[in-house]
Amino acid sequence: MRARDEFFIGFFPIPPGLRPFLAAIAAALILLFAVAGWFAASTQAAPDEAGFRFDFGRQEVTGVLSLHPYPVIRVTEGSERLAAGRTVMLSGGGKFAPPQVAALDRRLVKAGGVILRRGDLDMLQIGGGERNLSAAEGDAPALSPPERLGRWRLEGEICDGKCAAGAMRPGRGLSHKACANLCITGGVPAVFVSAAPIEGATFLLMAGPEGGPLPPEALAFTAAYVSVEGEIERIGDLLVFRIDPATLRAL
Amino acid sequence: MSVSYIPVQWNGFKHRYNLALALAVGLYLWIFVELGPALLGHASPITPPIHNARAFGSCAFLMMSVILMIGPLARLDGRFLPLLYNRRHFGVMTALVALSHFLFVFNWYFVFTPLPSWEALLFSNTAYDRALGFPFEAFGMFALLALLILAATSHDFWLSFLTPRIWKSLHYLIYPAYAAVVAHVTLGAAQGVRGLAFPALVWALALLVAGLHLAAWRKERGAAAAMGEWVPVCRPEEIEEGRARVVRLAGGERAAVFRHEGRFSAISNACAHQNGPLGEGRVVDGCVTCPWHGFQYRVDDGCSPAPFTEKVPTYRLRLRAGLIEIDARANPPGTPVQPLEAPR
Ligand code: FES
Repeated sequence: MRARDEFFIGFFPIPPGLRPFLAAIAAALILLFAVAGWFAASTQAAPDEAGFRFDFGRQEVTGVLSLHPYPVIRVTEGSERLAAGRTVMLSGGGKFAPPQVAALDRRLVKAGGVILRRGDLDMLQIGGGERNLSAAEGDAPALSPPERLGRWRLEGEICDGKCAAGAMRPGRGLSHKACANLCITGGVPAVFVSAAPIEGATFLLMAGPEGGPLPPEALAFTAAYVSVEGEIERIGDLLVFRIDPATLRAL
Repeated sequence: MSVSYIPVQWNGFKHRYNLALALAVGLYLWIFVELGPALLGHASPITPPIHNARAFGSCAFLMMSVILMIGPLARLDGRFLPLLYNRRHFGVMTALVALSHFLFVFNWYFVFTPLPSWEALLFSNTAYDRALGFPFEAFGMFALLALLILAATSHDFWLSFLTPRIWKSLHYLIYPAYAAVVAHVTLGAAQGVRGLAFPALVWALALLVAGLHLAAWRKERGAAAAMGEWVPVCRPEEIEEGRARVVRLAGGERAAVFRHEGRFSAISNACAHQNGPLGEGRVVDGCVTCPWHGFQYRVDDGCSPAPFTEKVPTYRLRLRAGLIEIDARANPPGTPVQPLEAPR
C-alpha cells in the first residue's frame, strides 16, 4: 500500500502525503489571484477629466441650428454656462444625433439639455420632444461668415465628440474604437483631438472635404493616432476641420 | 466511470477545489472592482461598466493561463495531478467569467446604437487591414465561443457520445482560443493602460504557459522512439513494484510496462477516458489506475473491472538477454496476456 500514500485517485480521499502540498498550492493560487487583481487594477490609466455636468443644471439656449457637417447650435441668447456667440455641438441620447433636428436646419431654435464638458469642448445632449428642441419665434439672424484659416496638417485622434466629452470614460483610444464608429455613424459630431493646440483649441469639429459629415473611409482611422491634412475654418468660436481623407495616415 | 452518468460526482476534494477556486476568483474581482477605483484615485473615474468589463476580462485571461499550466505541470511533477482531476470545473468557471466580460462590453458599447447590437458588434469596425485599430473584438468572440463550446461539452457524457478521439481534438480548441485571447488583449485592453506593466504581465503569463508546454514536451520526447517488432524496454529490476516504464513504439504509440507482484504486463499508455498517461499511474488492487481521473484496468487484460466496460490494448512481452522486450504490434483492446515471470 506504499504507493497509495502519495498517489492521488479522484474517487478516494486525498493521500495524506499530498495534503500539505495541495494546501500550499491552494493558498498560492488564492494569493496569486489577489496580487494579480491588485496589480491589474493599479495599471488602469486615468481617463481624461470629462463627463456629464448634471451639477450645472439644465441649460436652455436660443440660436441658429446648423446640420452641416454635424448638428451645432450658434447661440444667440445664452444660458449661464453657454454664452451668446458660442457654437455648441449637439447630440441626442445614446449614440444618436437629436432626432428633432432634421426639419430645423438653419432655423432659429430653442434648445435645452445637459452639458458634457471636457476642457474647452462642450457638447449639449438634448432629449427627445418639443420641450428640448423646437423652432423659436422669428427669423434666423444673419451670422458672421466662416473665417478661413487655411490648409493644415494635424496629428491627433478622430473621436466621437460625445464620448470624448465624457459620456464614457475613457471615451478615446483603441479599445473604444467600435463605439466611436457607432456614434459617428449615428450622427454624433466627430471631433479631432489635436496633439498640439490650433489657435488655442485642442478640439476641432470634423467634416468631409465638401463640408458634409466624415466620409466612411475615415472610420478605418478613428481612435488611433493619425496625421491628416485639410482646411480649417472658424464658425463662431468653433474650429471646423474639413479633412482630405486621402491624406489620412496612421502614425 | 461509464456505467451511468451523474451530472457531477461530488466529493470532499471537489468541494475544496471549487472553494479555493471561487475564493481566488472572487478575491481578484473584488479587489479589481471594489478596491480598484479607490486605489487609483482618478479625478474622473473609469465608467463602471467599462471598469467591470476590464475586471472580468483580465480575470478570465488569468484563469485560462492557470488552467493551461496545469497539464504540463502535472507531467513535470506528479504532485500536481490532483489539480488536473477537476480541471473541468475550472474551465466552466472561466467560461462564465469570460461571458460576464462579454455582457458588460456588449451591453455598454453596443447598445443605443444606430445599428442593431449584433450588427454593431460585427460590423462597426472593419479595419481588418491594420494592427492599430484592428477589430480585436473578433478574437475575443472566437475565444468566448470556444470556451462556451468546451464548457458545454466538458461532461463525460459528451466524451463518450463524441468518442474520446473526437472529444480530445475538439478540446484542443483551447490552444487557438488562448492565442486569440492574447491577441485580443494585446490589440485591445493593453492599448488603454498606463505604461507597459499590464501588457508585460499578459505576455509573461503567455510565455510561461508556452514554456511549460515546451518543457513537458521535451521530457516526453526524451524517451526516444524505438523501432522494430520486438522493442527492448529495460532490465526487469529497473521497474519498481506497482509502477511502469513507458516505451514509445514505432508509429508514435506508447505502451506502459507494469510490474505487479513481481510479474510484468504491458498495456497501452493511453487511458480510454481522456487519453490520460496510464504509465504515470500505479497498480492499485491489481488494476492500473489512471493518474488523471482514476479509471482502472486489470494489468493482465486491459479491461476495467465490472461493472465498468472500458478496455485498452495489451501487448506481449518476452525476456531476451536479461532485457524485457515488447511486441510493438498491439493486441486488440481487452486481450488477456499471460504476465511475464521475472528471473528469480
Ligand atoms: S484520462 Fe480520465 S481517467 Fe484516465
